[in-house]
Amino acid sequence: MKTIIQIVVSGLLLGGIYSLLSIGLTLIFGVIRIVNFAHGDFLMLSMYGAYWLFTLWGVSPFLSVLIITPIFFLLGLAVQRVFVKPVLNASSLIQVSILLGLSIGLQNLCLLFWKGDYRGINLAISTSVIKVGFVDLGVPRLIAFIAALVISVLIYLFLKKTYLGKAIRATVQDRNAAELMGVDINRIYRLTFGLGIGCVGLAGPLLMPIYSVFPTVGLYFVLTAFVIVVLGGLGNVAGAFFGALIIGLVESFSGFFIAPALKEGVYFIIFILLLLVKPAGLFGQLGSEEIGAR
Amino acid sequence: MNSSLRYLWGFKFFLFSIALLAILPLYLKNPFYMHVAIMTFSFAGLASAWNLIGGFGGQLSVGHAAFFGIGCYTSTILWLKLGLTPWAGIGVGALLAGLVSLGIGYPCFRLRGPFFALATMAFGEVIRIFAIHFRGVTNGSIGFTIPFKPGLRNLLFPGKIYYYYIELVFMIVVILISYRISRSRFGYSLKGLKEDKALEACGIGATRTKAYAMFLSAVLTGMGGTLFAQYVLFIEPDGIFSLDFSIQLILMSIVGGIGTVLGPAVGSFILSPISEFLRMWFGGSLQGLHLVIYAGLLIFVAMYMPQGVVAKVRRKPREIGNPSTSVQGQHRVFEKVKPVSNCPVEEGHGILQVKGITKNFGGLTAVREVDLNIETGEILGLIGPNGAGKTTLFNLISGFLVPTKGSIQFKGKEITRFAAHEISRMGIARTFQIVSPFGEMTVLENVMMGAFCHDHHLARARTYSQEILDFLGMTSKQSLWIGELTLEDKKRLELARALATKPTLLLIDEVMAGLNPEEVAETISLLRNIRDQGVTILMIEHVMQAVMSLSDRIVILNFGEKIAEGNPAEVSRNPEVIKAYLGEEYAIS
Repeated sequence: MKTIIQIVVSGLLLGGIYSLLSIGLTLIFGVIRIVNFAHGDFLMLSMYGAYWLFTLWGVSPFLSVLIITPIFFLLGLAVQRVFVKPVLNASSLIQVSILLGLSIGLQNLCLLFWKGDYRGINLAISTSVIKVGFVDLGVPRLIAFIAALVISVLIYLFLKKTYLGKAIRATVQDRNAAELMGVDINRIYRLTFGLGIGCVGLAGPLLMPIYSVFPTVGLYFVLTAFVIVVLGGLGNVAGAFFGALIIGLVESFSGFFIAPALKEGVYFIIFILLLLVKPAGLFGQLGSEEIGAR
Repeated sequence: MNSSLRYLWGFKFFLFSIALLAILPLYLKNPFYMHVAIMTFSFAGLASAWNLIGGFGGQLSVGHAAFFGIGCYTSTILWLKLGLTPWAGIGVGALLAGLVSLGIGYPCFRLRGPFFALATMAFGEVIRIFAIHFRGVTNGSIGFTIPFKPGLRNLLFPGKIYYYYIELVFMIVVILISYRISRSRFGYSLKGLKEDKALEACGIGATRTKAYAMFLSAVLTGMGGTLFAQYVLFIEPDGIFSLDFSIQLILMSIVGGIGTVLGPAVGSFILSPISEFLRMWFGGSLQGLHLVIYAGLLIFVAMYMPQGVVAKVRRKPREIGNPSTSVQGQHRVFEKVKPVSNCPVEEGHGILQVKGITKNFGGLTAVREVDLNIETGEILGLIGPNGAGKTTLFNLISGFLVPTKGSIQFKGKEITRFAAHEISRMGIARTFQIVSPFGEMTVLENVMMGAFCHDHHLARARTYSQEILDFLGMTSKQSLWIGELTLEDKKRLELARALATKPTLLLIDEVMAGLNPEEVAETISLLRNIRDQGVTILMIEHVMQAVMSLSDRIVILNFGEKIAEGNPAEVSRNPEVIKAYLGEEYAIS
């Protein structure tokens, strides 16, 4: 029983980490209707950012997150302007090609500069553990989880309460109608991409105490995030958060009961089953027509 | 037809290149150049194989590394562990790749665009993870080294020249298969996949079309895998099953010209040498450089020349209609009687019986307990206010929706749960309210898609389609692209495509909406003409003038229920009908 509770807790904490990545992805998809295949590679970049800031100048990731997040928000704006905006109305083949191109380009640029080595940082906090009852809570994971929770709530409130948030939601529901009501669609797209990449900028430094960074680290995370986003319903922020928790649980259970190396296999199979049975996701109908669930 | 000319240029170029490549080894002594050539041919074949599903079919697979890897591993494992010759291994591997492709395909085929890409990408990763994990079979991440024992039986040879010709033949075979497909009904079906409903209405099953293409593509990719393994003699999962591999195939196709016969090969001839030379010049010191350049090219090409190199070089010649046939009167009299119908049914029997059909969408009942009996040779008008369930009823009859309850019989045969393409093959054709032509085809090619329903032979289908277009007075427009048509033409094209399937029952959904009075008059005489040739017609129409003058009988739906039925005069006096259309107060007066 103790083991089970420990597995549940680590699964939830893991889910928190995944949700940091998935929220941005689902937001970008919901608003811009584009699947950001390069999402994981931005995560990789922000992890490298935190790594170098720490290695060269000793800036703690918990500090550098304050620098990296706004930079990545701006980076998101720029990437949207240069790579996404020109192909907004192109065929999905072209969109996918460009984002895959971006993904491979970023990966291999990093490979070129920093080789394929696994780079991690050693902080005292990396291994520190809080005991709650008989359950062990890894401190960095707990921090990431709390950050994810805060970000989810903030984004949720932003979407619900502010004008911009409402404009974003209106755009999700109907692009043309929103435009007719005077919403500047291009601004919304820019902002959303910025927000999505900003979330990744936040996630990277928080992951550095837990994971090592290497050029293809993003691939591992982004595939998980894709599963989560579909699970939670495309474009659904709350869905992405809870979907991430579910996948975290699945991963920690399958890691314990089946084999740690096969955990990805397990949730990719879930992914394919999900696409078969309930492609609209568990929490939302949104965008289901786009993926072919009629 | 000019379309054969369209291919002539490419064909000459192809023959010339092959001849050149066949004698090239006489002059190419440098082993590195030979290696570059071998890799180029190999990737040209692989990219062409990808292009079958990805280009022709427009299904963006990002998981082809899995099929390639299955080919590599199967023949190698069979040889190293069981001593089976790679000649047999290549067959087993290809078959296995094909079967796996169906396993992944069936759940994923209904996903669109980026989601099909995503699912195949995830699938490729699963296969890679399995290959690393199941060490007993695959040797884990260490992989296999194939011992170099030259001999014909081992498919291993003492010189690069052998591999040069093997890969050259592989490439030629795949290109010839692509060529053959591009000029067949199957090729057209693949091209039509983007409009999957229209495809089904032409009697072609969309899922089956995708499955064939995927299977063929995976089989060829698997073969390419075995040949590759026999050449490089070393396979390990991270290299073989890598996402980069899948993306390279896409890149080559895009650069060369996606969906064209020669495009992917041309792409490989441009890109493979670049990557081999970069690898040689910078070797291990600048790992990743060639992929950075690849990525840059991919983005550049996708943004600025999405049609690819081949399309840049070879502009499609515009086929312009023969001027002698293009002179048409505004009011053409359709006197030329053509046997459009497939097989006439005996008179007196109803051609279609619908009994108690019901369709629920969640809590909403769109069609409730509707009975419908259509007599052979009549024109039955189906009218009702917006949202009455008319189009839903059409979709139920033509197999696009499965009824919640009730039965449908066509010529005395139960067709209630038949798939849409099966129903259209039996002789029920339909048009779509929202016109859905195949966007990347000419008018003639669109009609040919309908003709493929009964005739798989390309030339015969073309001749028949020209007759249909002639009958509809559209001969002068047969070479136009869809984007160049007016709404009237598009509506008539819907009709032409439906007629080309040789239907006995024709379902017409608002083919007159948005037309001006002259065009309506023209369409009325056209429909009468079609009926006179033995085609029974069920039509939804809001243009009352047309419904009243054309219909033998009229059925009225309101809120999903049939409220009246009779000849036009009876119906127009029926108080229920007046109430439904004009409101309560008019019914009383």
